[in-house]
Amino acid sequence: MAGSNGSGRKNLKVIGKPFHKVDVKAKCTGEALYADDLTLPRMLHCKLLRSSVPHARIVKIDTSRAEAYPGVKYVLVGKDLPTSFGALPVSEDEHALCIEKVRFVGDPVAAVAAIDEDVATEALDLIDVEYAPLPTITSMQEAYDVSDPRIHEYGEDGNIHRKQIYEFGSVEAGFAAADYVREDITFYEGSTHLALEQHASLAHYSHDNKLTLWSSTQDMHYLHRHLAQVLQIPTNKIRVIATPCGGGFGGKCDPFNHEIVVSKLAMILRRPVKICLTREEVFYCHRGRHPVLMATKTGFKKDGSITAMHHRTILDGGAYGGHGVASTFYTGILQTTTYQLPNYRFEAVRVFTNKAPCGPKRGHGTPQPRWAQEIQMDRIAEQCGKDPAQMRWEQAVLPGHVTANWIKISTFALREAIDKVVEGSGWKKKFRKLPYGKGIGIACSAYMCGTQTPIYWNKMPQSGVQLKLDRSGMVTIFCGSAEIGQGSDSILAYCVAEVLGIDPFDTKVVTGDTDLTPVDIGSYSSRVTLMTGNAAIQAAERAREFLRQAVAEKLQVPGERLVFADRRVFDGENPEKGMTFIEAVWLAESKFGTLGTVGSYSPPAAPGKFKGATIGPSPAFSCTAAIAEVDVNPETGIVTVERIWIAHDIGQAINPVLAIGQVEGDVYMGLGEALMEDMAYRGNRNVVMKNPSFLEYKSPTTLEMCDVVTYLVGEPEPNAPFGAKEAGQGPQLPVPPAIANAIYDAVGVRIDEIPITPDKVLKAIKLKAKGLEGRVGPTVFPTCPMPEAIVVPTPYDGGDGKAIEDKAALAKK
Amino acid sequence: MKTIKKSRTRLEKAHISLRVNGESVEVAFAPHKTLLEVLREDMGLTGTKHGCELGECGCCAVLVDGQPVLSCLALGLAMEGREVTTVEGMADGTSLHPLQQTFAELGAAQCGYCTPGFLLTAKVLLEKDAKPSRQEIKEALSGNICRCTGYIKIYEAVELAAARMRGEQAEPAEETIYGRQ
Amino acid sequence: MKGFELHEPKTVKEAVDTLTRIGPNAKVLAGGSDLVSGVMKDWVEGSGMPIPTALVDITTIPQLKGIRAAAAGITIGANTTLTEIFESKEVTGKLPLLAQAAHSVASPLIRNYATLGGNINQRPRCWFLRGPDFDCYKKGGDFCFSVGGDNRYHAIIGGELCYIVHPSDTAAALLALNAQAKIAGPAGERMVPFDSYFVGPRENILNENVLKANEILVEVFIPNPAAGTKQTWLKLKNREVYDFALISVAAAFTAAGDVWQDGRIVLGGVAPVPYRATAIENQLKGKNIKTSIKQAAAIIRTVARPMSMNAYKVDIAQNLVERTILQGLA
Repeated sequence: MAGSNGSGRKNLKVIGKPFHKVDVKAKCTGEALYADDLTLPRMLHCKLLRSSVPHARIVKIDTSRAEAYPGVKYVLVGKDLPTSFGALPVSEDEHALCIEKVRFVGDPVAAVAAIDEDVATEALDLIDVEYAPLPTITSMQEAYDVSDPRIHEYGEDGNIHRKQIYEFGSVEAGFAAADYVREDITFYEGSTHLALEQHASLAHYSHDNKLTLWSSTQDMHYLHRHLAQVLQIPTNKIRVIATPCGGGFGGKCDPFNHEIVVSKLAMILRRPVKICLTREEVFYCHRGRHPVLMATKTGFKKDGSITAMHHRTILDGGAYGGHGVASTFYTGILQTTTYQLPNYRFEAVRVFTNKAPCGPKRGHGTPQPRWAQEIQMDRIAEQCGKDPAQMRWEQAVLPGHVTANWIKISTFALREAIDKVVEGSGWKKKFRKLPYGKGIGIACSAYMCGTQTPIYWNKMPQSGVQLKLDRSGMVTIFCGSAEIGQGSDSILAYCVAEVLGIDPFDTKVVTGDTDLTPVDIGSYSSRVTLMTGNAAIQAAERAREFLRQAVAEKLQVPGERLVFADRRVFDGENPEKGMTFIEAVWLAESKFGTLGTVGSYSPPAAPGKFKGATIGPSPAFSCTAAIAEVDVNPETGIVTVERIWIAHDIGQAINPVLAIGQVEGDVYMGLGEALMEDMAYRGNRNVVMKNPSFLEYKSPTTLEMCDVVTYLVGEPEPNAPFGAKEAGQGPQLPVPPAIANAIYDAVGVRIDEIPITPDKVLKAIKLKAKGLEGRVGPTVFPTCPMPEAIVVPTPYDGGDGKAIEDKAALAKK
Repeated sequence: MKTIKKSRTRLEKAHISLRVNGESVEVAFAPHKTLLEVLREDMGLTGTKHGCELGECGCCAVLVDGQPVLSCLALGLAMEGREVTTVEGMADGTSLHPLQQTFAELGAAQCGYCTPGFLLTAKVLLEKDAKPSRQEIKEALSGNICRCTGYIKIYEAVELAAARMRGEQAEPAEETIYGRQ
Repeated sequence: MKGFELHEPKTVKEAVDTLTRIGPNAKVLAGGSDLVSGVMKDWVEGSGMPIPTALVDITTIPQLKGIRAAAAGITIGANTTLTEIFESKEVTGKLPLLAQAAHSVASPLIRNYATLGGNINQRPRCWFLRGPDFDCYKKGGDFCFSVGGDNRYHAIIGGELCYIVHPSDTAAALLALNAQAKIAGPAGERMVPFDSYFVGPRENILNENVLKANEILVEVFIPNPAAGTKQTWLKLKNREVYDFALISVAAAFTAAGDVWQDGRIVLGGVAPVPYRATAIENQLKGKNIKTSIKQAAAIIRTVARPMSMNAYKVDIAQNLVERTILQGLA
């Protein structure tokens, strides 16, 4: 595998330096063209008619009045696009436009293409849809109770989409060995991405029958496949171009109705068709954080060491599958990656409800169980009479650990991270010592850098890079990754520039274009830096070999003595002897012909061999410790987070200023989810979203955002490009529980559900004043029949990574 | 009194004269359009972005007679004779405005979508106050929402630009670049 | 946005004539931060709330702009922006309460464009009213969805049929400052004290004030407060920017030492109109504020009728009244 850490940190010229991003000046001047900024001659505009009812059969759709409206060119309905699709192959339950029934308020039923947006919008009013209402399922409990009607005809049974149950080791034995066992029921409310850019797409169908779709997407490659599937045309007739994405956070991962609809309209009309969703529609697209109810039963010794955990989750999935099956795994599968946990049982249920579909949002499925685990750790520490920071330090996973569920951890500097924030925040002088109303709390987390397998099973690489070097001296880097603001284009430039010894701005980065760029499977799972970085290094090292051979021959210097740096190739023992990079390219092109190389990356195999074992393992894990200091006003219940100290094990930052920017963004999003963000619905009457607007969906402004002190810690990760692990998702995870733990330190109440709004804090304070338990949170955990667990012995009790059934089956043979 | 009618079947375009980014221009547009729509759709100035089109996010901020306002709320017709500045007009000739430079240097633009609104709002702040405090920067930028950065790099970029505009040879703090050690 | 006729009158008379000629489908545009976004773009309508077919832009009337100080008090034109109000030395000097209230509205970008008249006369933010799918009383329908739905931000006092809370911050301040509104209509001009400017759902469920469809708010007159008047504004919101008051308290009062003499306490965010807490004022009259404010503020509990999800607002209102008055005294 590619890896250039051998060159050592000190000699690096680009890596670890604060270069600006390759695309940032275009973004600071208005030059960057986002999807809605594009126009083409003869372009039409598209609008979607969305369901106004949460659950109904479609009895009739009459589009005749709309079709007759001046300026309308076409009205598309569900039967025009009969093939179903979905982000995951196991839940292809969506149609571009609903055919037989609608499943949530906002589900698209028809689309209009017209000469302008106003005409299209007005024509929507002229489409007559007759609905036969069905009972609506609005909550987890209702999904358990109501098996008829079913929102979907597939899944486990009734309105239960998916059940997952695993046991690693024996929790029964673990609990028996514990000094204490406690169970806490907690809830993490759903939230949405709220990227500033409204989703937009532009489709063009040329007279040589090729479709081009420009779209604000994070996952161009999957979108490419889904378009081919639904439009029933070969992938080589489709070009998808990922435009600069005005914020993703997971919200632009799924293939969306509007992307398919404008493509179909362009094909029918052979005219360019554009759509830009309204902000309200963006809320209906959602695919955000699942609301998750959790019951976490943990056994522990007096010293705080954990003997077993039985963790149960219920996810309110909304109306469609989407990435939900993966989300369901993630509500439990990474519980073992922060602290030593020898026995672990995990049960998860995802239900369908008549609400906007949930999906992947920053941290995909993991912020919720982290919340449950970390606020419970605070209680465990209190019960053991231990300092919660010290107890976490003692229980932290160590480098090289293999978890109970067979996830291999490589580098892992959680102890160093805890040390940094404890020292920086003055923890020891503050914890349980601040005046009433002021408090401090800690939480930790770990997160993956990409997953072991792509979304559809195949053995091809997850990431590919091509390089073109030519006599101009320019190095063009082609990669299918999608720049969503995180800096993925720049990562490619930095890695290639470091290997070839040039300036990152001597490269041209071409990404996100299925016609031009080799496949990368998309900007999700914190996989991009690690995987595209490794692929880019491999391609650049191969290019360097061409140059090395040509230059060595010319200079009569052994190839291994040649150094690539400062836009030169020279003899390391005699730096005067050398040539410019461009001269080296000329030599190589003369010797070898036109120069081009490729690199690719596939993650290493994981040790687990049971069904589902590929979800969770990652080439590397980052980890984070965060301490929050808060002010709680006991009269109003208002919580002000004053400062967060956060230490993140990134390995080696490719660009520290960008890495810190990611960490600060993580803190921001965690703060919003902790205190205000709330994808709630206006009572059950209409299952209409409470807040499809920036006004009602509260997100933190400059006046809510806290101070952030960031520490980058850790050692270079051998599996990662120049040792760099992720920073885009992991650091968000400890933020909400650190805030909740700080609130307890401030006013002695536990708020076991987010968002922690003033009314909840006031209520808990009142309860406490009355001598009752000062807690607001769920008290009941609904149950449903669960199948037999997949039982897997852990590495600690002699397991081999296989489930017990597998062994039985093998024995029979 | 001026009355402009608009009907669906016969689009009677409105026609106004104004100054945009220092140049006098005339523009014709459907009379119900907002300034945002006129800039983007009728003048091709797509640097001005939109996140809600309802006055709730700050993306579309432009300067009208030197004041930052939300272009999604202002009617195009109300711009007759006004001076409008958009992000395309921020650079001074061929060189970037110091704010554009520092936003780039510090990664204060991540996805870049809210960036034009922040840049213009910050520009007015620095015209009024050469050395704003961190709190004053927060207040001035409080109407602009950013979902990527957590605002910290934006504050630091505004402070760095302010220092340079005062003529100081300012460089970003070590902690801004490398984190606290 | 739906198409509309735009009228740009140059005088108040032209504006009134136009409104009279077109009738209720014409609406006054005084900045547009609510009308353009909240109504026109969202296409929210009902039988009692038609989408306007004509807008009469009164920001083109020069007479309606500006702040004039005179011996008896300060007059502020309806088209004056909120930023102009809190940046005015006259206003910050004599009417800090109004300046603070104006400064607490929405965001700097909105305040640069939103006008005083528009802020006073904006429609409520109830999410059922603003949702196209709810044909509620206020839109001319026959139901209030907040009664069985999510009512965490709705009225705790004076709700009847409809449980909106009045959204204007400047309105609460002006009522506390005993201001008057000058209204122009076909019959000429009239002065209406803010005491009787706002109307609750019982009086008129379709509108929140006394303005008729062909009348406009021309200006606001605020009499000079008595010497030594203490003015305080506290606004509690879920988010510091782009948010309406969860609860706000505007207080303007005089005290001899710690003893309450005269004054007004007005709450925003609690009732369909800016709510003047006369019972609390009366309770404080002639009493030592420090020793009696707690008891006085608790009177709010006797008038409040919280709904299923908003009892917490009663606690906050009581606390906030207490804090506002004590802060004013200090």
